[in-house]
Amino acid sequence: MENIKIKLARVEKGLSQQDLADLVGATRQTIGLIEKGKYNPSLNLCIKIAKSLDRTLNDLFWYEDKK
Amino acid sequence: MKTKNKKPFLNMDERNKQVAFKVITIMYFLTIIAMQGIVIYRQFALGQNLSDFEDIAIIMTINSIFLISALLYFGALSIRKLKVKNILLIYLAFIILGSLFTYAKYNIFQNPGLSFEQLFDKLKIITAIIGLLMGFWILLSILGKKRIDKEIE
Repeated sequence: MENIKIKLARVEKGLSQQDLADLVGATRQTIGLIEKGKYNPSLNLCIKIAKSLDRTLNDLFWYEDKK
Repeated sequence: MKTKNKKPFLNMDERNKQVAFKVITIMYFLTIIAMQGIVIYRQFALGQNLSDFEDIAIIMTINSIFLISALLYFGALSIRKLKVKNILLIYLAFIILGSLFTYAKYNIFQNPGLSFEQLFDKLKIITAIIGLLMGFWILLSILGKKRIDKEIE
């Protein structure tokens, strides 16, 4: 499932995928795949992403089940 | 909070490592299966003497023992979840498998084959070696569990 929240938060901060990747010590491809929902990051990486984007884990990674 | 990789030459993040581990695991098992195939082919199809492929057989054996040991010690496999009955069944299965291979080796692919007494002697050796191995693996499993418990504390 695509994670639009990370992409929105990243764009709001004016960061490219590469910038965010550099901040969290990952590759651009990994950030791209996380945003596309094709890679499940570890909790450590989730926290790094959330901190880099000044968001909480809930803001970026939590979603309600559609009924 | 910039956390760039300290080893830029490798520059592997967690996803890269995950992919690398998967590929390495698959390649490892393919190699082991291929080597096993070579050993069986040389032994049973070509009827070669054990000394002709002893090096491969030794590598295969040590490799398999270390693999199972590492899986148990580092907590990938947990035989503590198994009941004693199941452990005994695994032990029995190993003995049956070992006996079948021994029987095939000496009495199907070799003529004349071994007598019943000689086969029984081999069975005793197989039972003892597998028993020792199972004991070693159970010990490693217990040590591995203790290590993990210590880390948690």
